[in-house]
Amino acid sequence: MADLGLVVADLVVGLMLGCVFAVIAHGLNVIWGVTKVVNVAHGEFIMLGAYGAYYLNVYLGFNPVLSVPVDAAIGIGVGFLFYFGLLHRELRGKDTITRETEMVTLVATFGLSLILSNAALAIFKGDAVGIRWAPETLAAGPVHVPLGGLYVAISSVAIIAISDLFLSRTYLGNAIRAYSQDIGAAQLMGINPTRIAAIATAIGFALTMAGGALLTVWLPVGITPLIGATYAPISFVIVVLGGPGKMWGSLLGGLTLGILIDVLPAFGISASIAVAVAFLVLIPVLLFAREGILR
Amino acid sequence: MRFPTFGPTLYGLALVMVVLGVATPFLPIIVKVQLINFLLFVGLAYALNFMTGLTGYVSFGHAVFMGIGAYALGGGIDRLGFPPLLGVILGAGLGAAFAVGIGLVTLRFRGVYFAITTLVVFLAAKNIVPEISELGGGSGIFMNLGFQPLAEFYTIWTIVVLEIGLTYWVTHGRLGYGLRAIKSDEDAAKTVGVNASRLKLILFGISGMFAGATGAVYAWTLSAVLPDTGFDITYSLRMLAMIIIGGAGTLLGPFLGAVIVYVPYNYFQTVQSLLGLQLAVIGALVLLIALFIPTGIVGTVRRYVPTLRRYVE
Repeated sequence: MADLGLVVADLVVGLMLGCVFAVIAHGLNVIWGVTKVVNVAHGEFIMLGAYGAYYLNVYLGFNPVLSVPVDAAIGIGVGFLFYFGLLHRELRGKDTITRETEMVTLVATFGLSLILSNAALAIFKGDAVGIRWAPETLAAGPVHVPLGGLYVAISSVAIIAISDLFLSRTYLGNAIRAYSQDIGAAQLMGINPTRIAAIATAIGFALTMAGGALLTVWLPVGITPLIGATYAPISFVIVVLGGPGKMWGSLLGGLTLGILIDVLPAFGISASIAVAVAFLVLIPVLLFAREGILR
Repeated sequence: MRFPTFGPTLYGLALVMVVLGVATPFLPIIVKVQLINFLLFVGLAYALNFMTGLTGYVSFGHAVFMGIGAYALGGGIDRLGFPPLLGVILGAGLGAAFAVGIGLVTLRFRGVYFAITTLVVFLAAKNIVPEISELGGGSGIFMNLGFQPLAEFYTIWTIVVLEIGLTYWVTHGRLGYGLRAIKSDEDAAKTVGVNASRLKLILFGISGMFAGATGAVYAWTLSAVLPDTGFDITYSLRMLAMIIIGGAGTLLGPFLGAVIVYVPYNYFQTVQSLLGLQLAVIGALVLLIALFIPTGIVGTVRRYVPTLRRYVE
């Protein structure tokens, strides 16, 4: 039996890691849930968010949490660009998203991800960089809680809670939910589908890039142009686990992954097997709960 | 019995393959190596074409079968004392077996969900294999095969010839009608009596078999199997790019796509300023093709250039 203190310590780290996973997957969740488009280049926008936070730190001395709003503002612009440059011609005038549209956008964003990751490799070079930002550590017995990770976890839960409130309590949020349920009926209610889809995409990108900024806390020396390839699959799994379009689903999926990755090694399972298990959890979930764990 | 008449596309491809097969022994060594690498790309393109091209199920994780083939070759040579050719056959067999096993579960999912599941399976395999000490753990297996360009060439040449023949048979035979029906509307296909699950499983098995065989030859050219070269996601991405660019589900498309992806891949490595940009250029091509001509080069020529239609069957 594993040492209890060790398990608790791993659980705490796993929960915090899960919160980071949740926030980086959240933008994908919003875009997928609303427009039914799976952005394969999601990981590359996380990477761009992380580099945004890095350069804000280098030139202006921002810490990662401070750079979240700046990254989000950039993300809104990028999101509108992405929508009108790529999605609009596929989604325009369609009442239901067919499998064909789904596949076209899947392949197109796959191309985009190749462009972005390799262009980033040429521009930023392959060297790993990072932000030196290490607030103190809270210690309680064997459990050490790095304050940086705690701030990130709190920001992550706050971002998800605010987005849930926004979707359920505001007029715009209701319009977005209406669009995601039935485009034709939403139009009959006087909702402009292009405007809603563009705004939802922009919000999704703002969340994605903000997530990239928060992720840098966990990568003190590990920001490279290729982190997208690591975090995109994690985001896909999280969104499918929670169910696309369910805001708290991001948190649930993220925590599931974070806990599996961090707690399984405490029971003597090697770290990479734990990662494999965390990924493979997706398959039984898809088999038995097609719409995600969250009802 | 009617004597089968083959279209000009098959004759053209056959001519290219015969010329390659006859001429290669007389070519300088550097060209031989380049041809082997090129045919590896062609082999991978046709392998994925069986699945993604013919059924429309996008697979992001097809490199997992390459990895299985590579490890089959490494294990066969290192532990069982196989000659390389037998290792390649073992790779093909294991590729097919794993594809059928994985397909039994993952082919229940459609569209994006299938694509994500393939990626998940790939990543799980990539994380599990280095933990298996029988397969050399994280340091892989070194085979000390030496440099055998002609044996490697004729193995991959045979694989590609088999793939082209099988693709022709599948696309032009009765199986092809069922597959086209699945690709355009799976539910409607089931209604008219197409056994969709069985067809998809067969195609996934064939696809895994050829990807396994090609992966084994790739490991043979490296004379080593490492977790990173065995399970390399960029090969998944290149495979997908090749058939999208050339034209998914066609006979000529994968070959054309392999030429278009391989030439810059090879050329960019010789030019300092372009080094590393090859995948960005390929990505730009994939993006443009997906948005403007989603049927790829071959599909577009078929549709808009009637005079050339019979050459791109």
